[in-house]
Amino acid sequence: MSPPPGDLPPFTRFGHGTHCKRCLVGLPGSQVDIDPSKLALAFYCIGSLDLLNQLLDKTKQDDRESWREWIWEQQVCGPYGAGFKPGPYMSSIKEDSTEGNVPQLIVTYTALLTLAILRDDFTRLDRTGIAQLLGVCQREDGSFSTEPYGGDTDLRTVYCAFAIANMLDNWSTINIDQSVEFMRSCRTYEGGYGQFPFCEAQGGTTYCALSALHLSGRGDRISPTERKQTIRWLVQKQDISGGFVGRTNKAADACYCFWCGASLNILGVGTLVDEDALRSFIGSCQHKFGGIAKAPKEHPDPYHTYLSLAALSTQATAARAGPDGNIGHSAANAHVDPSRSTSWELPPLDPLLNATVDTAAWAREHIPKSTNA
Amino acid sequence: MHQQDSSTLVLFSERPEWADVTPLEQYEGVNPLAPIYYSEEYKDATSYFRGIVKAGEMSPRVLELTEAIIRMNPAHYSAWQYRYKTLLELNNPLDDELALMDEIAVKHLKTYQVWHHRRLLVARTREPARELAFLSRSLRADTKNYHTWSYRQWLLAYFNEDTLWERELDFVGDLLEEDLRNNSAWHHRFFVVFQSGVRKGDEDRGAVAQREISFAKQYIAKAPNNASVWNYLRGVLEHSKIPFSELQIFVTPYTLPQRSEDDAPAEVIDLENPLPSKLAQLPCVAAIEFLADVHEAAGGDSIMKATELWKLLADEHDTIRKKYWEYRIREALRTV
Repeated sequence: MSPPPGDLPPFTRFGHGTHCKRCLVGLPGSQVDIDPSKLALAFYCIGSLDLLNQLLDKTKQDDRESWREWIWEQQVCGPYGAGFKPGPYMSSIKEDSTEGNVPQLIVTYTALLTLAILRDDFTRLDRTGIAQLLGVCQREDGSFSTEPYGGDTDLRTVYCAFAIANMLDNWSTINIDQSVEFMRSCRTYEGGYGQFPFCEAQGGTTYCALSALHLSGRGDRISPTERKQTIRWLVQKQDISGGFVGRTNKAADACYCFWCGASLNILGVGTLVDEDALRSFIGSCQHKFGGIAKAPKEHPDPYHTYLSLAALSTQATAARAGPDGNIGHSAANAHVDPSRSTSWELPPLDPLLNATVDTAAWAREHIPKSTNA
Repeated sequence: MHQQDSSTLVLFSERPEWADVTPLEQYEGVNPLAPIYYSEEYKDATSYFRGIVKAGEMSPRVLELTEAIIRMNPAHYSAWQYRYKTLLELNNPLDDELALMDEIAVKHLKTYQVWHHRRLLVARTREPARELAFLSRSLRADTKNYHTWSYRQWLLAYFNEDTLWERELDFVGDLLEEDLRNNSAWHHRFFVVFQSGVRKGDEDRGAVAQREISFAKQYIAKAPNNASVWNYLRGVLEHSKIPFSELQIFVTPYTLPQRSEDDAPAEVIDLENPLPSKLAQLPCVAAIEFLADVHEAAGGDSIMKATELWKLLADEHDTIRKKYWEYRIREALRTV
């Protein structure tokens, strides 16, 4: 049970940073399932350090350099265009085969954001190739496949494709309206969105739909009645533990504090979350040796650590946003103490790209620029 | 299909029948990021896999190798993909593959690849009936598994055969009988009744809507504090364009405190409007919310009745959503 609001446990930010740094150094063999999404793991770890404002003080310049190099090594190109592959798990010391070394949309999105966190100048980015990849991955129904030669197609990949197009500032290879139709077909009677058409409403995919619609300037495709219904469904997801559930009548899970909280933020009503209760739930998910778990007494991992931090950042954003929900560029980073402080304060988040406001601004400034421009 | 249990103990590098393959070790980069400390068996198998892929070999032993890898790491995307290509190349019976998948899927219900592979197979075998039977078994093991449910919904919509739909409502009914808070089952019911076309006997849509409203009412009477059934009821009404006010008589008793034995009037049994049980926790938040929506829709003076109810929720019965109920009050008054 989480402590009552007002009686918050200390926020062990130093330990959370240590947890993420430890994962970047190495993972046990039991976590072999991370291999096909290694770049996503890198994003959760490095993104956590960014949110905790520990990147400059708590990591070495050499390490940050080698992380960037490692990420650039995953950029691949071929007849499909260009993008990032999840990691080197199909690469061999000798010559590589194409099989297993193709780019993947979800990790391409995380690669771009991670490079932005590390303030890369993106001179090595194959911009035309990435735009081409988006076009190749789009299906007739408007959805996107995870890979150019197949793989799942669902709302997650629509979101990632739209976030990439938004960062690139290039939508020329995508049929936006077709994707909007696909997203609409994933909407359910409850007011949320499911992962595929006809599927149950779920917090993560609801975030994907709402965010993708707003990233493409199609937020007005949600009618006032629909918006009202979606807000109702989202606030209903906060349960008595203070945390959010992903689906009606399920147990609270720290990651949905972000997916649902950010969704409300995108709809301009982020302040409707009971923030004290949310903090108290996340506080109770902290592990004594650092890191945040999906629920109290579970094992921590970078995914839940990052999304819990992002949830807290979203609340910071909601509190600072004007009544119209617009988020101004903020210098809030400056007064967050990066040391061993136990303060709950975190820098504000760009809820659409899911990165700090400063990182999102860096991404949008440097990713579209061509080297020759 | 080779049996794995006995053979996985022997590394591929120690098997004479694999001697002709050149294993390719993984390249990690100069400064690997989050390297995984692989087990010997995994390193061995994946090195042979990279070798096989490089050579472009598609033979029966590839199936043995990819099965070994998948069992160690069901998320290994490339192993799945290459396995699928090999199956097609060899023209292997896909039924055998599905039988193997039945066993592997149950162990890894939360892995995307397991389900994606199945979709590819079934789109070729075109035998969805056997799949429904498998799904019913695996949903019994994990009644809210998202992958399993979405696969079931895909299967029904993709093949859309009359015989497939026949038993769906009974199936959902059984699951709700076991756990009336299973939202996946409620969602599936909505999908079957309203989102997947009109089946024989269900042509009168007004009657279907009434049938579903009665169904929801019975479940509310059993346990009023169940967000799933209220969301379902709202969904049915909105879908069928029936105003919430038509249910005002039914909902009202649920918005009041539980009556004590003494002042309970002799009950007239109204089958259309079942009353809450004596054990129910009342008043019910969802019922108060529903009644407030009825008042809000009526507009005019009724808005004040709605705001009173929202205030009750904000201050007493649903305090975690205090800011939301206050927001509803502001929004409603803004439009007056």
